[in-house]
Order: sequence, then C-alpha cells, then structure tokens
Amino acid sequence: MAMTRREAFKNLAKGSLPILAAGCVSAGLPEVAHAEEENVAPKGALGLLYDATKCVGCKSCMVKCSEYNDLQPDTRQDGIHQAPPALNYFTKNIIKLYRTADGSDHSYFKQQCMHCIDPSCVTACMFGGLRKDVDTGVVWWLGSKCVGCRYCEVACGFHIPAFTWDCFNPKIVKCELCRDHIAKGGKQPGCTEVCPTNAVIYGKREDLLKEAKSRIAANPGKYFEQRVYGEHEAGGTQVLYLSRVGFDKIGLPDIGEASIPHGLHYSHMLYKWMALPLALFAGMVFFAGKNFKDHSHHLVEDQKKTGLRPQL
Amino acid sequence: MAKDAIEKETIAQSLKNAGYSRRDFLTLCTTIVATAPMGLALTEKATPAAVAKAVAKAKKPSVVWLHFQDCTGCSETLLRTSKPDVADLIINLISLDYHETLMVACGQQAEDALNSAVADNAGKFVLVVEGAIPTKEQGRYMLLNGKPALEVLKEVGSKAAAIIAMGSCASWGGVPSADPNPTGATGVDSIITDKPIVNLPGCPPNPYTLLGVVLEFAVMGKLPACDDLKRPKFAFDRLIHDHCPRRAHFDAGRFAGQFGDAGHREGYCLFKLGCKGPVTHAGCSTRQFNEVVDCWPIGNGSPCFGCTEKTVGFRIPLFQRVDVHTATPPDTYAPISGSFGKFGAAAAGLVGLAAGAIGGSTWAASQRLTSSEEAVAQEAKTTVGGK
Amino acid sequence: MTRWERSVPVYGVPVITRGFWAMLALIVVGLVLTAIREVVGLGGIVSGMSDPYAWGLWKTFNVMVLTGLGSGGFAVGIAAWIFNRKKLHSVMRVALLTSLLAYWTGLAMLGIDVGRPWNFYWVVWPFTWNLRSPLLEIAVCIMLYATVPLFLENLPPLFEYIIYEFPSFRGVAEFCEGALKKVYPVVIGLAYILPIMHQSSLGALMILGGNRVNTLWQTPFLPLIYVWAAAFLGYNCVSICLLLAKLAWKRDVDPEVMAEMNKLTVWIVYSWTAFRFLDILVRGKILHVFTDGFYSLLFLTETALILGSAYVLSTEKGKKLGTMFLAHVCCATGGMIYRLSPTTLAFQAKPGATYFPSAIEFIVSITFIAIGVLVYLIAVKKLAILPGSNADWTKMAKYEEQVKPGIQLTGYAPVEH
Repeated sequence: MAMTRREAFKNLAKGSLPILAAGCVSAGLPEVAHAEEENVAPKGALGLLYDATKCVGCKSCMVKCSEYNDLQPDTRQDGIHQAPPALNYFTKNIIKLYRTADGSDHSYFKQQCMHCIDPSCVTACMFGGLRKDVDTGVVWWLGSKCVGCRYCEVACGFHIPAFTWDCFNPKIVKCELCRDHIAKGGKQPGCTEVCPTNAVIYGKREDLLKEAKSRIAANPGKYFEQRVYGEHEAGGTQVLYLSRVGFDKIGLPDIGEASIPHGLHYSHMLYKWMALPLALFAGMVFFAGKNFKDHSHHLVEDQKKTGLRPQL
Repeated sequence: MAKDAIEKETIAQSLKNAGYSRRDFLTLCTTIVATAPMGLALTEKATPAAVAKAVAKAKKPSVVWLHFQDCTGCSETLLRTSKPDVADLIINLISLDYHETLMVACGQQAEDALNSAVADNAGKFVLVVEGAIPTKEQGRYMLLNGKPALEVLKEVGSKAAAIIAMGSCASWGGVPSADPNPTGATGVDSIITDKPIVNLPGCPPNPYTLLGVVLEFAVMGKLPACDDLKRPKFAFDRLIHDHCPRRAHFDAGRFAGQFGDAGHREGYCLFKLGCKGPVTHAGCSTRQFNEVVDCWPIGNGSPCFGCTEKTVGFRIPLFQRVDVHTATPPDTYAPISGSFGKFGAAAAGLVGLAAGAIGGSTWAASQRLTSSEEAVAQEAKTTVGGK
Repeated sequence: MTRWERSVPVYGVPVITRGFWAMLALIVVGLVLTAIREVVGLGGIVSGMSDPYAWGLWKTFNVMVLTGLGSGGFAVGIAAWIFNRKKLHSVMRVALLTSLLAYWTGLAMLGIDVGRPWNFYWVVWPFTWNLRSPLLEIAVCIMLYATVPLFLENLPPLFEYIIYEFPSFRGVAEFCEGALKKVYPVVIGLAYILPIMHQSSLGALMILGGNRVNTLWQTPFLPLIYVWAAAFLGYNCVSICLLLAKLAWKRDVDPEVMAEMNKLTVWIVYSWTAFRFLDILVRGKILHVFTDGFYSLLFLTETALILGSAYVLSTEKGKKLGTMFLAHVCCATGGMIYRLSPTTLAFQAKPGATYFPSAIEFIVSITFIAIGVLVYLIAVKKLAILPGSNADWTKMAKYEEQVKPGIQLTGYAPVEH
C-alpha cells in the first residue's frame, strides 16, 4: 500500500514536531547565565591566593606537597633529580617558569587545581567520583565512585587532573587543598605552610579576594590589568592569581567568564523531568504500533501467497 | 715522654691531671661529634655528653709518630687548632711516645726513645706515619740513623697494633711521588700489607679527622669503617663538589672565567678555573681549616686541586678542567607549556598502511561493482537483442 | 530486477575461509595485547594517551565514531517503522546487526579503555547518578539500549534459526517470538528514543571542552548535529554492507530500496549541512571556514566529502552501483571525520600537546573492529540477515534441503484461526 504524498507529509510533520519543538525551545531561550546559582561560591569557600610577584621559585611547596600527600618525587627525567615537566600523578602542585627568549623577563607560576566554583570536572563525572565539598568548596576525588574514564581530564579547562597511566589500578591525582592533612588536625595546606615569602596564602575566598584587591589598590600599575585572575574566570575559581606578567604568558588560559558546564544548560533543559524524551517515546510507540499492525497484516498475506514463514 | 705510669692512666685522669676543665673536655667532644656526625661508631647518634662518658673511661693509647718524606704540614695542622688547643689535648688524650718535631730529645736520646717506645708497647701502640717512603735503590734516598726509611717503617710497623697514614704522602706518595718520582716515593700501604691501615689523605688533612680515628680506636678498640682505598668513610665518602658552598652557582651556570674578573669577585663557581672538586673525595667543603670559616682553597677563591686523590693531586695540572661525574640537574623548572604525546614510527606506519589498504580496496570494490553491473547490462542487452 | 522481500542467508559459501583465519589471527594478537594492557595499565607503550589527550582512539573512534556508523538500527528503523517507508523493512536486519555489533564491540572497547572498570556497577544505582553529566546519560542509555531493545530486535533471526535447525526447541523459539511480537512496538520505541538520547549526549560530551574545541565545531547544538550525523552514517553503513554483499557473494541488489536509502541519505545530509552552516553563521564564525589554517582544511574536507557524496547520490551517476558505493564510503568517511573532530582532530587540549595512537593502541582498536566483522560474516552466513527475494529463498531452501536432509524451509501455510 503505497503512501500518498499527503500522508507522507502528514507523517513527516507528526514525527518531526517534537524535534522542531526542541529546536525552537533551545533556540529561543534567553540568556539566563547571571541568575544561576552555579556561580556563587559556598559560604565557607576556602582557597589560595598566589602572588607571582612574591614567588622566588624555591619549590618548597612542591616538596611539602609531596610529603603531605604521600607522593614519590618524579625523577623520571634523569633518574636522579625531581624535575616533573608538568602536573602528573606524582605531582599535585608544580612551579613553572616563564622566561622570555632573551632572559630579560621572567615569572614563576604555581599550578594546581583551581577549585572552581562550578567545576567542569564535577559536572563531567558520571557517578560523583569528583565532588565539591558543600562547605569548603574543595574539589576532591573519591576512588570508590571513579571508573577511570578520564572525562574529568577532558573537561577541565585548566588541564589539571592527572591520571596514573602506568598502573593497572589507576587514580586521578590533583590538589585537594590538603584535605586529609587538615582533617587530621593540620591548620593549612602544605604549600602555604612552607612558603618562605608567603607568595601563596590560604584562607576564605572572600578574604583572599579582599586581600588581592587591596594589594592591587596599594600598588597601582604593578599587577597585570589591575585584576585578580579567578574572580570571574570560568564562573569564578577558589584559587586566585595575581601577576605582573600577562596571565596568558604564565599559562592561565583565556577562558571567559561563563562557567564551562554552562554550555550544557540548553541540553539540560531538554531533559527537564524527562518530559521531552517521554513524549517522543510515547509518540514513537504509537506510530510504531500502528505501522506494526499494518506490517503484520502484510506478512500474513505474503505467507498465504508464498508459504514461506514470515520474518519479524 | 713518660712511659709506663701514663699508659695505664685513663683519659679522664690524664686530662684532670693536666688541669683541663670538664667544660673543655665537653667542648672537645662536641667538636668530635660535629666532625663525624655519621660513619664513626663512637659518635653515631651520640650526644657530646655520651661521647665524653665513653672517652673518659678509655685508656690512653700509645702513639708513635714517624716522619718520612714530609713537609711536616700534617703535624702543623694539628697545631693550628685552639678551640680547644688540640695539640695540647692530644698530648693528654693520647700518649705521644715518639714525635720527632714535638719531642725535646734528639740524637741518641731520640733513637733510644723510639726503641723503648716500640719495645714497651709492642703490639699495642698506634703508628702514625707522616710523609712518603722512598723505595728506589733499596730506599737509599732517606736514611734514619743510617737505616733506610723503608726498613724503619717495616720494623716499627711490624710491632704496631694499627697504622694511620697521615696525609697524602703517607697515603699514596703525595708530592714526592709527582712525575717523574725519582725516589720511588710511595704510601705506607704499598709497603706494609699485613697490618690494619687507615689512610687519611689530604695536604694536609683536617686534624679532627685524625682525632676521630684515634679516639675511635682508643674507646672502641677498632678502626672506623673505611672505603676500598682505606679512607674512613665518615670523612671521605663525599666529593667536594657535593657539599661545595658554591654548588648553586655551578648548577645555575655562573662561573668565574679568570682570576679577578667579575664572576670571581662575586664568588662564582671555580670549575672553569680547573677546580677538581667534582672528582675529589674530602670533607673540606663542610669543615674548613684553622677553625676559620671559608679558610680553604675554594673559600679563598682558588680552585680545589684534589690533594687527597692519588689520580688527581700532583698529577692533573692545576688549571686543567676535569669531567663532572655527578649528575647536573636538568633545567629544573617546568616550562609553561611543554610538549606531550609521542608520534611512533610503527604506529604511523600501521595507520598509513591501514588507510592505504582501505582506500585501495574501496576503489577496487567500486570498480568491480561497476564492471559487474556493466557486464549484467551487456548480458541483458545481448539476451534481449538475441531474442 | 530483483525485489527484496525478505532476508535470506548467504548459502553455499563456507564460513571458514582464508580471510576468516587471517582475522582470527589478528584477533588473537589483539586480545593478547589487551591482556597486556590490563596488567600494565594504559601508559608507556600501550597507548599514546597522555593527560592532555586523555581520550585516545578507543573512546573517540571505537565508541564515539563506530556507534555512529552503527546507527543504522535506529536511522533506518525510524524511517521504516515510524515514517512507514515499507521498502526499508527488508534491510532492517542488516541495519540491526551492524548496530548490534558496533555497539557491543564498542562497549567491550570501553570496558578496556576505562581505568577502573570494577566501579562501573554504579550504573545501575540511581542514587549515585550525577544527572548533570552527559557521560552518565550515555552510560545508562547505551547499557540499556545494547542489552534490551537492540538485543531483542536482533533475536528474530536467531529464533528462526532454531525453528529451522533444531525442531526440538521449536516450541520455545516460537513462544519467544510470539512474546516479542506482542511487545514489539514498545521495543521499537525504546530502540529509537534511547539512541537519539545517547547519540546526542555523545555530542554534548565535548561541550565541556569549551574553547579547546575549535570554534567551527564547538556549538551548544553539538548534540543535535551529532545525532543527525549518526543518522546519515547509519544509512552509509547499511548501504556499504549491502553493496559489499553483492561484491562478495553475488547477492542481487534491489535498486528501488537502494534508491530509497540514497534519497533519505541525501535529505539528511543536505539538512544537516544547512543547519551546520546556519549555526556557524549565527555564531558569527563564518570566516573561520576559510581563515583558520588546519581547521579550515579539516572542515572543508569533511564538508566536501559529505556534501559531495550526497550530491553524487542524488544524480543519475549515483544510480550506478560502483559510484554509489564510492559515494557512501566517502560520505561515511566525512561523517566519521566529523565525529572525530571535536574530541581529537579539532581539540587543542593544551598548547604543545599532540596525540597519535601508539601501535598497540591501533592494533587493539582494529582487533575489536575485526571481532565485529568476523561475527557479522558468521551471522550472515548462518542466519537470515541479508535481503533477498522470495525466489532467492526458494533457491536457498532447495540447496539447504540437499545439504541438510529433513530441514523444512518452505511450505509454511498460515494457521487459520
């Protein structure tokens, strides 16, 4: 029974209506970024303030971090010296050096997890292997829920989580603001405890922000663009940076003010209460049912003619 | 030098008789501990009070000190101490029964002193040898009371409990053994092979090294752990380079190019001026001389010349550079953006092969399909036409 | 001109051939390498993955790309069952089988790629589900899809096989078949809604890649474009399989069905391309199509392959089987490149980072593809998968009755109620 053009268009319209609706809904959504509670840090949010102008590159923070986190030094470069080339599963915190080609200018850069307010990695993780503490906002890894899929590594806009590649029982390794050490009675993370120049300090995010801004006010022209990196970047991060040299030069990405998971906003709307998928499902079952009845009828007719067992 | 009565005294008694306060004694013991914090059984994990306790109970060991082809610098080094006055103390800590420089006797008296010292303490005394021993022409190049030094050493050494070769000359030949070594100067351990020998090379060595060895022997009854060149590990297990105060300059690439240039004035590394620190085992980087900080060659802006090492001191020219065998750290700061990812040749080859295979077979398949379709069409035409 | 009326197994062709042995050898090698990976971990020589490029060939190609290729089940299925394109019923079984194999080998590959597979059981425990994660949606959906609707849809050929070859189990098989028939519309509904959901979530994954995914690919509509691409990839795959069947086993081709599939492919591709360009235009990035160096080249290549092939399919030339085959391969290639771009080709993880699969990684990847191909070859020879005419069936029946005396493949009159 051939379908007439009219029927074809009717079916097409019926079938594509939900898809079109979805398209219209997502296209017509107004920008709702600002009102989201995504970009508000928890009340007791803790963090770090790293002032690159005070850092002397002594790397005591790297040593202390290894000690408090039970990590072996990464000596793979020459077998003797601890010289990790980047964050990896031995190194939760690293000092990097920015240097101009002619050596005329340089700056150190302490890299570790940014403890974002709306972390991309936490949104990414399927079963909550990476979670954000409700009170302190610290982003930490829970092994019992981690599948080792490494989506967090792909999702992180700051390239932080490291995976133990060379092990059949791998882990995700990244700074957790010395959560375990503090739980055992420590007052602050290892890096801030040991920093000889107080280049990196620990405290509540709001206090650190105030401190950073007061430094900017007290030293006009000293700090790059007179601002704190992390105040708004990626929806705000709990680790803040001050630098004399451009942020892009020391390796802080130009990441915009929207949090990374915000891009999923529209997708999430489509799945709200599973309404759309259920509606689509219902529609398809309805049409499939109708056509199936038709098809079955045909099959019986064919069987009468040919004597061949009908195939479902 | 008195004999029997003093030998039976304990060190504590001897010091007391000499008028040393307990404070002086503790100061000395502190210095010993600082000299050898590790590697010496006497001081390992010990407090100065504990060391003092052990040393106080020990009997004063008898010491015979022989000079051969020497400059007496190794004795002089003992005298360049004042806090406490080690020379003085040594006289009261040990029974120095024969020492040609420090004793009053000379001539026949001196000869008698040596004979009686050896005879009275046979098998118990410590022989300290200073200076190299000439061996060419049956040892004719140095005679002591008409006897070749070689014979004297063998005679006295055969009666000693242990031998300490003080200084590079006694350890391996030192200055007299420099090219062309006309006298065949050599160290003690090439001549005496059946006695325990400790080599303390250095030109001169640090006096507290000697003190540590002697006290260890007096208190513990044995010589400290030594390496395969018979040097005590507590003092010779590290290179100058490893503990050099100027190491940071070496690692950062800051060198003095010439004596007196800007780098030299800044106190930069002297490697380019021929410093033998990287190949010389000694403790000078941590313990300097004359009880004055930085009183050592490198501290004075002069490159180390490797006086303790047989293959270096008096062998390699002063300003000739050596190879560094300790690892130099890599550029120890991570770059802002490093490179990741490897591009294996095997993988590239496989991928290329696969791509080629798929591409080729796709083309071939498409051609076959076309030709088979055409064949069918041809057949249909001819069949139809044939009809 | 052949009309495809039912599915007919490939007969008179041995299952064990030289090609079979070659693939088996490759599979054995690959499985040994897989065992090595399980012991040693994912680093070193086993794979080319590193922290910046944490997803390598296995996730991005075997799972994300090949399940796209294996979307015939839902793409052809929606046209056949929802839009009632009756001609496509005859090719449903091929589509379903390719989907099944693509998904199951993809899932196996996933199990090998993840570092801590022993924690995967949380997928059945909703209280741990992070509902904001696109990957969760994929995990739950794919697991459900592969184990329930896709599996059930592929059972009928198996039931038939049992009915014909094992008369003692006929009763059970017929009962199961009947039960399946009763719930078939629901199974179908699931079989289409689930892939739409997870194929679009596969696209949503790279939204979290932010501005590290080149702007020509990064869009909030990534999910829609991904599932739309899966649709035409599904048609490409099915068409290629059918044409290869003609080449390998001299199966006759029904030009009307091929034309129907081509028409749908063309329609999907045109609308897909139009939407993509519209999206780029509206985001204001249209100049990047020409001014972004390597990325422009990549974009233009994939667009040319996809659009060009679709155009060829819409012309007279496209009716020729050779050209049709080439066009579908090129279109599939373009589509696969498209799906590989946001994760790998157009993904700049961090400055200075590159990724290329290691030899072992590559071999393991093609091993799992080979497993799928091998099972496909066995299945089409044993079961009624590939389409044919009723006359073909009768020929096959005659042949089989000679080889297996007692087997009844014809003469099934319907039971009158």
